[in-house]
Amino acid sequence: MFAFIVRRIITTIPVMGFVALFVFSLLYIAPGDPAAVIAGDQASPADVEKIRLSLGLDRPYLVRFGEWFFRVLQGDLGTSIFTSLPVTQLIAQRIEPTVSLMLLTLILAVSIAVPLGVLAAWKAGTWIDRVVVAFAVFGFSVPVFVVGYLLAYTFALQLDWVPVQGYTPLSQGVWPWFKNLILPAITLGFVYIALIARITRASMLDVLQQDYIRTARSKGVAQNSILFVHALKNAAVPIITIIGIGVALLIGGAVVTESVFAIPGLGRLTLDAILRRDYPVIQGVVLIFSFVYVLVNLIIDLIYTLVDPRIRY
Amino acid sequence: MDRRTFLKTAAGTGALAATGGLAMPALSQGAAAKTLRFVPQANLANFDPIWGTQYVVRNAALLVWDTLYGIDSKFQPQRQMVESETVSADGLVWTFKLRPGLKFHDGSPVTSKDVVASLVRWSARDPMGLMLRAIQNELVAVDDSTFKWSLKQPYPKMLLALGKNNSPCSFIMPERIAKTDPFQQITEYIGSGPMKFVRADWVPGAKAVFEKFADYVPRSEPADWLAGGKKMLVDRVEWVIMPDAATAAAALQNGEVDWVETPLSDLVPVLKRNANINVDIGDPLGNIGAFRMNHLHPPFNNVKVRQAVMTALNQEDYMRAVVGDDNALWKPLPGYFTPGTPLYTENGGDALKKRNIAEAKKLLAEGGYKGEPVTCVVAQDLAVLKAMGDVTAELLKSIGMTVDFVATDWGTVGARRAQKTPPGQGGWNMFHTWHAGADCVNPASYTAIRGSGDKAWFGWPDSPAVEAEVTNWFNAKSLDEEKAIIAKLNKAAAEHVIYAPTGFFLAYQAWRKNVTGVSSGPFPVFWGVNKA
Repeated sequence: MFAFIVRRIITTIPVMGFVALFVFSLLYIAPGDPAAVIAGDQASPADVEKIRLSLGLDRPYLVRFGEWFFRVLQGDLGTSIFTSLPVTQLIAQRIEPTVSLMLLTLILAVSIAVPLGVLAAWKAGTWIDRVVVAFAVFGFSVPVFVVGYLLAYTFALQLDWVPVQGYTPLSQGVWPWFKNLILPAITLGFVYIALIARITRASMLDVLQQDYIRTARSKGVAQNSILFVHALKNAAVPIITIIGIGVALLIGGAVVTESVFAIPGLGRLTLDAILRRDYPVIQGVVLIFSFVYVLVNLIIDLIYTLVDPRIRY
Repeated sequence: MDRRTFLKTAAGTGALAATGGLAMPALSQGAAAKTLRFVPQANLANFDPIWGTQYVVRNAALLVWDTLYGIDSKFQPQRQMVESETVSADGLVWTFKLRPGLKFHDGSPVTSKDVVASLVRWSARDPMGLMLRAIQNELVAVDDSTFKWSLKQPYPKMLLALGKNNSPCSFIMPERIAKTDPFQQITEYIGSGPMKFVRADWVPGAKAVFEKFADYVPRSEPADWLAGGKKMLVDRVEWVIMPDAATAAAALQNGEVDWVETPLSDLVPVLKRNANINVDIGDPLGNIGAFRMNHLHPPFNNVKVRQAVMTALNQEDYMRAVVGDDNALWKPLPGYFTPGTPLYTENGGDALKKRNIAEAKKLLAEGGYKGEPVTCVVAQDLAVLKAMGDVTAELLKSIGMTVDFVATDWGTVGARRAQKTPPGQGGWNMFHTWHAGADCVNPASYTAIRGSGDKAWFGWPDSPAVEAEVTNWFNAKSLDEEKAIIAKLNKAAAEHVIYAPTGFFLAYQAWRKNVTGVSSGPFPVFWGVNKA
């Protein structure tokens, strides 16, 4: 197992290297000019050009990539073109809200979606099953921002239970933190819940038709035990896989959710950086997100061994 | 930990949280009341008002850095950091004396050395500053509170240059900071204005915080835009950046913020119905919508074709697309200067008063248009530009032009418009923008009106007639003389179609009723604003 973890971490390095090259190249060929944004709308073309030179944007691709990559290897993600702040500092400022949002969403989604999927499979073909399936289709179909606005309108504006926007750090209290995050987490989790519930239902349906389940029933094993001990454990591999894959959904959804709820997280940092063509920030954030995604997949692979003893690395 | 212990712990945590047991002590009501939470028009992504000239940077900088003079609501520069000034009889030597007691936020006194260094940096970037540089003999500190600017020829607009509100303003910084290359960003934000920038609390894209500067000595005159006493009545101003206008409006309704600079016009009716919210015009000088044609390449290198397009446009179509049905938010603009300001004129603007499709087609034929595609680059991420772009596409088709509509984002438009290559090689024929009305009250900072060819703004119009009138305006000595010159300039600009104005539009600002003293201006005026 240890050797597997080490091997996987080592294979992460070329993956990250490829991501770095890909992101840098993509930004290099993408249209847009940060110098024009910095100079402002009234700036003369000559001023824009001088700013471009001062930022080093006129230098050859390979020189720029080489310098950046060398710094990244030393743990330096560079400096934001706009704020002149280190990218690592910008990411550090924003990481807590995003991690909080994603973890709360993950907890919320798994604790709602898995029981829903199990319930739908158990009651397959009944109205309960149809409601869960309909919810799953609805969850897939409604855009994140629509869910966000509806929730904000109902629970923040009309009922005044929670704030419309913003983020309170965990260090200032669990309740204020939770109040700020619950609507964004539900918003972000909506499609995630739908996805996990559908996969759970499908996987459970498959397992519930197996002989050993029929045997357990005939032995008089309690229904809860059949569902959550015998069946769910055996249905877990595809569910865990989809939870892992869904992290990419969360990362993408965080960009929209953080904008709708004005949460100062990495999603908004990414969006702002893309709109302004703040290349070092975009490169840094994408690298971090890629690393997180690779790490999540590693963790998922390790969890497989816990739920299915047949899997060995 | 077994299941039962876990559930007990979780329940206990929930109960504590519900009673606020884990929360930090809340701020007292009084302390909270003196913090003004403001939602600006855009993100404060950098904070060097000379290096980055976006309006949002200028607006934040006005809190932190002071200026020697300040423009008032009558567009007259008034003394601000300066106590007195003298100009020699030949108009060549200006001597300025700073008022006593001026201090920077780090406690050091403001001296004329700081002023000289700041003016040197500013004048490398500002159009009026560049003019001054071109005719400068020397700019020197005479003593700690006196400095002298001697010129090779008179410059009647000196005080306007030092007090204008257009970006970049001539902000005064400590000498060590002002010596930074004007094309490099400063890293210390020390000014002598009424508020200090709290750098530790700055989260670009989320929040910027300003605290009252205890040692600031405001002037005794009443505040009027950048002139008079900048008396801060709140202790702290927090800029809360909200990229989503609907969220900003909801936060205002919920009392989570106090003042929104530019609420979404679609949501203004909702805000107006809220008993706790005031809504009024934000900037009375508004904005001038515009599309610019590239004078370097066919078909718009032919003045007849440019005139054809301007003759066919109907400003109401544009303004309805931009502001909707609210008639208080727009006006037709048969000219190039801001309505309601002293130099406003409609001279030469007849083509913009009434659409004439037949005449437009005739001009198009005379211009030799052969059906070549017009590359119209339209930013889709800015609602105003998208709306104007859609109207223009229909306009061009209505007179028989072929449209190559390039839907993209503003970041791309910003880069592409600088390309002088032909449209098929990465260049362009047309892009949309708007100009702040405050920049269009006179030619001082109105780069978009210039017709200096290769050195002109994007589109590169070349009109000696326009340039001659701009020069005349800079040398004018009375308002009447200026008015006569601007009338000629307006006519020349319309004949040459420097650009096509699509109308004049305004925007609302909204604030909660417990906030008092909010006024209209070409920038958010924080001095005199209080919160109950």
